[in-house]
Amino acid sequence: MSELAARLDDVQARFAQAVAAADDERALDAVRVAYLGRSGEVTAVRRGIGQLPPAERPDAGKVINAVVERMEAALADATARLENRAFDAELAQSIDVTFPAIEPATGSIHPVRRVLQDAVAYFTRHGFATVLGMEIEPDYYTFDALNIPATHPAREGFDSFFISDSLLLRPHTSPMQIRTMQQHKPPIAVVAPGKCYRRDAVDARHLFQFHQIEGLLVAEGIHFGHLKGMLTGLCRELFGADQRVRFRPSFFPFTEPSAEVDTTCPKCKAQSAACGMCGGSGWIELGGAGMVHPNVLREVGYDTEIYTGWAFGFGIERLALTRYDIDDIRRFVDCDPDFLTQLA
Amino acid sequence: MRVPISWLREYVDLPDDAQHIADRLAMLGFPVEEIAARPVITGVVVGKIVAIEKHPNADRLQVCKVDIGADAPLRIATAATNVAAEQVIPVATIGAQLPHLKIEPRKMRGVESQGMMCSAEELALPAEWFEDGIMQLDPSTPLGANVVELFGLADAVLDVEVTSNRVDAMSVLGLARELSASYGVALRLPSFENPGRDADPPGHAPRVTIESTDCTRFVAQAFDGVRVTAAPAWMRVRLALTGQRPISNLVDVSNYVMLETAQPLHFYDAAQMRDRHLVVRDARPDETIVTLDEVERTLTPQALVVADGDRALGLAGLMGGASSEVRESTTAIVLESANFEGVRVRRMSMQLGLRSEASSRHEKTLAPALADIGAARAAQLLVQMGAHAYRPHAFGAELRTAAPIALAARDVERLLGLRLDATRIARHLEMLGCAVTVHGDALEVTPPAWRRDLAIAADLVEEVARMEGYDAIEPIEPAVPAHAIPSAQYELETQLAATLAGLGYREILSYSLQSPQVMTRVKRAGLTPSREPVEVRNPLSEDQRFLRWALGPGMLEYFARIDTPARVFEIGHVFSNENTVTEIPVLAFGFSVDPIDEPSWRDTNFLRLKGDCEALLRAVCGITVDATRDVRAGLHPGKTAVLMHDGREIANFGKMDPRVTRSFGVRLPVYLCNIFLEHVPEYRIPRYRPPSKFPSTYRDLALVVDLDVTADQVSRTTRRAIGELCLGVRAFDEYRGPQVGEGRKSLAIRATIGRFDATITDEEADAAIARAIDALRDETGATIRT
Repeated sequence: MSELAARLDDVQARFAQAVAAADDERALDAVRVAYLGRSGEVTAVRRGIGQLPPAERPDAGKVINAVVERMEAALADATARLENRAFDAELAQSIDVTFPAIEPATGSIHPVRRVLQDAVAYFTRHGFATVLGMEIEPDYYTFDALNIPATHPAREGFDSFFISDSLLLRPHTSPMQIRTMQQHKPPIAVVAPGKCYRRDAVDARHLFQFHQIEGLLVAEGIHFGHLKGMLTGLCRELFGADQRVRFRPSFFPFTEPSAEVDTTCPKCKAQSAACGMCGGSGWIELGGAGMVHPNVLREVGYDTEIYTGWAFGFGIERLALTRYDIDDIRRFVDCDPDFLTQLA
Repeated sequence: MRVPISWLREYVDLPDDAQHIADRLAMLGFPVEEIAARPVITGVVVGKIVAIEKHPNADRLQVCKVDIGADAPLRIATAATNVAAEQVIPVATIGAQLPHLKIEPRKMRGVESQGMMCSAEELALPAEWFEDGIMQLDPSTPLGANVVELFGLADAVLDVEVTSNRVDAMSVLGLARELSASYGVALRLPSFENPGRDADPPGHAPRVTIESTDCTRFVAQAFDGVRVTAAPAWMRVRLALTGQRPISNLVDVSNYVMLETAQPLHFYDAAQMRDRHLVVRDARPDETIVTLDEVERTLTPQALVVADGDRALGLAGLMGGASSEVRESTTAIVLESANFEGVRVRRMSMQLGLRSEASSRHEKTLAPALADIGAARAAQLLVQMGAHAYRPHAFGAELRTAAPIALAARDVERLLGLRLDATRIARHLEMLGCAVTVHGDALEVTPPAWRRDLAIAADLVEEVARMEGYDAIEPIEPAVPAHAIPSAQYELETQLAATLAGLGYREILSYSLQSPQVMTRVKRAGLTPSREPVEVRNPLSEDQRFLRWALGPGMLEYFARIDTPARVFEIGHVFSNENTVTEIPVLAFGFSVDPIDEPSWRDTNFLRLKGDCEALLRAVCGITVDATRDVRAGLHPGKTAVLMHDGREIANFGKMDPRVTRSFGVRLPVYLCNIFLEHVPEYRIPRYRPPSKFPSTYRDLALVVDLDVTADQVSRTTRRAIGELCLGVRAFDEYRGPQVGEGRKSLAIRATIGRFDATITDEEADAAIARAIDALRDETGATIRT
């Protein structure tokens, strides 16, 4: 055995022992420095090449490099072994994954707004704009311009909150019909969601404030079939593709012909006489609709020979109660955290 | 209105199924609230007591021989005390089914009884509305006839809703006409001929002076030979089925005619009025009248009365007076069948807090022609009851035929999208009582006298649609024409809501109307509201007295209610009253939070709120606005900031004044931000500035400044002094305490320094920071801590 080989064997043997004895990364690092460092043992061997017998000298560098490679590999293995030992401890831990989750501070939009947005989205897709209005309106916009003169019995049907002789909290979103038509020339295609007020005693089905969505389409060639088409589409969008929609004759001073709009009860599908949602009738009342009365078009200076239009007004709370199967309308204003979380 | 189907059948042939009829009415625009089924009753026939004797074995029983038109009379024992020979009565024969009883042969104290004579209750009619004991039928009722069929006791009673434009259909005849037109079957009208003799009563002919334009027509007719008694059984049964209590033949006739034709009537006792002369006039100030309900009412000239020469006899269209009420002794009467302006009746009714079946019709303004029809029907019924009818006298405006309405088949198609030919349209309208002439595509339509609601072509189109059925109209999606109506406001609200939800806030809704207690709470906290609240004139309760002037109070009430930390927002309008009523759309968001133990000059929650506010505005306007300290009512005076843009306040935010928080019962500190939606600038597209390709460096400075020097001042000064090499300045720590000294604070800032064209050198950075130190010393009085 050559002298070099003997020296390297000795170094490697001791190195192997030292690596095996190293118990953590610091100890291992000390071994690296002691053998492979600038003043380490292998470096010492390399420095001694000149003293070797001449025959051994040409290959010495190569032999030493091979040893160094092996030693470095052994160190890497040892490092990995130590690291894994640390992981073993962590991997031995276990928890009860069924423990209740920690709730994130998630936000949400109110169910009334959500339904409103879904309804608006449907109309937006069909080319309608969305306009907002004020909640205090003069009686002109609330009644007179809508073909409800002061003497009209329907006027008292809107049991309104008054601020002054002529100012009131709007009992419906219909003033936006007039405001939009005064501001813009036809064609008009808008929906106008917003808050309304009526003097209703608060109970499980009534609040004195509620939201409506008003729709108005005025253009050439618009007829009742278009009203049925759009509102049928809306109900299917909100409640499901198999929804049926029923139009019944009714009376509103600002539409002629007028209709009440019902949709099939999404809860019982008209299959239960004891259904709590529709009262067994199989239908949910959504609101009023109809062809805009010529007097209303005339009031805003539209030519009734050219333009026809339809309008509708639906209660948004009613849509939301139906959609989420909510038992009591007061939950919308109580905003109990659990209520908001469930519907978020 | 409650409508017995059996009564409808008198005028029109209808399907058996009540549900079918109800559905049809609903699709005609008359929704049926309830279908009240009648109990099954069989085997009850008309009988006549031909003989009556005492029961051999029982003092309280009598044994009657009852002829039911069969070969042999029945022997029936009864405990009823109102029986007498010659009475015609309902008899439940053996095998009959009554609501709670099946009739079987049985012995009563040894006498076999072959049936039972029935009371009204046994026929499922309200017992208290009919005579005690056995129900009394008219002597002319055919013996053996089936009582259930005769009186329509089997058919259901519909509770029908009638819209306010169709007062003509607040009547059995009106609804029968609708059904006849819809089913396309004939309508059997009663005669509207007035049987009054062509003569006036001895003494004075009835005379009416109309002094008010609110009385359009007044038909007065005199009757004598009247005998006040019970109305015939058929009439009493019909009234009872509609929910109207039978009173006496006269009262019942007026109710019956009103239910049949919609025209309310009133009878005056001729003996209790002067000269059969009626005056329709405004009430005199403080004039009093005792109405039929025996309440004395004091009137104002807003009330319209029907008076004789001396005093008010009744409230026009609303309720008669007690003084001229018909009574048992009445033998001569004057009939009123009048037409009044609906508004006048409605306002009087509201003012007096008094409603009646009559006013519920008059307040919708009946057609004047109904006055004559109502009088004629009443006269027919009274004559049937043996009264003598004199000539009817009509006062007021002449009856005018309605002006014809021009309608084209094209109008129908234009509004309904339904192509119908003119003859089909004409047929529909004629079935409803219109007179129609057709010229090619054009129709000339004269509405019937009882339909005041038909005035323009669109009204007729609705009639056509009702007759065709709304279901016949095909739903189609319209092609919506292009327009330029903006949706910006809605889109802003939508985006704000979405962003706040993303920031972890939950949207709530609270009441816009508030109790005065909210104001009390604010005042108790030592504050005066910055704005005068808007008051509601007619709240239902004190809880609704004021419109909210800010969203904060509602949010505090919410935090008080849930009492755990929460993050919420609300978008809504607030109202104030300074000379004029103003309404502002506002967004408020905020949180209640567990307090943090930190020095008095630091408020981490405030900075969190500020961070959310900045993030929100970045998202919706693409800009960041510098906050300045200010004071706002309701917010902590030392912890309030406002964001101004173009001279308008976009937002204010801060910790809520702890006095207010406590006054609302909130235990936790609350942080609140108000955003004024009308001041939020339009979204501006932010411009991207690429980072320098060369590494930058930074320098931290620890400054000591006076307490009133702000982080913003220090940053601005630093930025300006460093000039274009400055890539950013940010304050990151603040300290106050004994080491710094009274009135001073330590502020740590980091300035990032770099170039876009080369790597910055240490020398350049040092020179830049030296400029900053000089400027800070000069402009803010800062000293450098080392």
